[in-house]
Amino acid sequence: MENTKINAWEKTLNGLKTWARINSPWVIHYNSGSCNGCDIEILATLTPRYDLERFGVKLQGSPRHADILLCTGPVTRQSRDRLLRIYEQMPEPKFVVALGSCGLSGGVFHGSYNIAGGVDEVLPVSAYIPGCPPRPEAIIQGVVALLNSLKEPKG
Amino acid sequence: MSLTLPSLVSILVFPAGMFLILLGMVYEYVDRKLVARYQNRFGPRWFQPLADMFKLLAKEEIIPDGVNKALFIFLPILGVTAALTSALYTPMLGFAPAFSFRGDLILVVYMLSVLTICLGLAGANTVDRFSLVGATRTLTQLFSYEAPFMLTLLGPALAAGTLQISQINAYAQDTWWMILTQPIGFLVALIGLMGKLELPPFDAPEAETEIVSGALTEYSGRGLALFRIGKNVELVIGLTLISAFYLGGLANPLEFILKTLGLLLVIALLQSLFARLRIDQTVGLWWRIGAILALVQILILVVGRLFF
Repeated sequence: MENTKINAWEKTLNGLKTWARINSPWVIHYNSGSCNGCDIEILATLTPRYDLERFGVKLQGSPRHADILLCTGPVTRQSRDRLLRIYEQMPEPKFVVALGSCGLSGGVFHGSYNIAGGVDEVLPVSAYIPGCPPRPEAIIQGVVALLNSLKEPKG
Repeated sequence: MSLTLPSLVSILVFPAGMFLILLGMVYEYVDRKLVARYQNRFGPRWFQPLADMFKLLAKEEIIPDGVNKALFIFLPILGVTAALTSALYTPMLGFAPAFSFRGDLILVVYMLSVLTICLGLAGANTVDRFSLVGATRTLTQLFSYEAPFMLTLLGPALAAGTLQISQINAYAQDTWWMILTQPIGFLVALIGLMGKLELPPFDAPEAETEIVSGALTEYSGRGLALFRIGKNVELVIGLTLISAFYLGGLANPLEFILKTLGLLLVIALLQSLFARLRIDQTVGLWWRIGAILALVQILILVVGRLFF
């Protein structure tokens, strides 16, 4: 009897946590060597025309406040350490979204001597948004797909 | 209207405590939604501040290297406590304050500053350079807006001849709205409140485009959530004070809601109209214009009382 009570309490608490996480994704944006195309599209996504605040998305300056790391471009060997450092500065739970063809695989820079590869060579990536650059609609769809995937616990 | 509650209820539930935290979230939502509508977009959903708060409270709290751990944990709690305490002396929802004594206006003004001081100390506590710059700016701004803001709250107090908030509130209900008799004071008080809350024209202390997020850069999870709660509570109390003093007093809950939301409408408009001022421009604005205007207002009041 006592046990089921605790379980029910934990269940509601976990449900509340998941609900809050899905409805309040704060984003930080890092350019790990992109040509700026994807970055401009991210900024366009955050403007009043697409208004991401509808989903609770806010662009944060500090990695300590963010939940989602939007990473654009291939990871150059120069920026690899910085990218890792930013990721480590974020508090759990945290997610990484790779943006654009270069972020996915290295794109046209694939195999280049100064490239460590796509974002997933360095960090665990939760969602991939293809495109060169991806349209704002695609970015919104990718982020919303990531948030929807949080609803079911992975098993 | 008066409402007598046991002290424990008034501290934990109404007017301080749970009620005020929830009301703060409602006002944060209204503020964000209004700014969004002014910018021609839809804006957040109604439960947005609630979701933000739960998410932050459920997140990991990182205590960075090089900080004083006790201070890092204690400062947000102290800030929120001070903000909530000041609610006990304000006519929340138009009811008589839960506690009241001669000169409680001074206590409330000090209590409201404690949150800002905590913010500055929290920034100065970390070794991060952005936090330090943010802390310096927070405290600089504190020294610039505080004097004019206090002087403008002193105006109605002088007119009423008392420093007790409940008596000023009662006096404001009997006479003309003080926004008509002291328009300069009202303007400076409104802009002073925006400076206090670090809202857009005065958000140099947390300018996210230059210094990451100011004094709060190193805070995550619980500490950040508490500071946000404190800010929201301060917004509600500031709106309550200004509408009780300048907008003809607060006699009942309906008046409270109408007057504070009307004031919030103006504040949101000012937020979306103006671009950020540099910190030296902020200080210059307050000391060169704000303080002088507030002093002129006080002078007019004193001279008026002497001769009429």
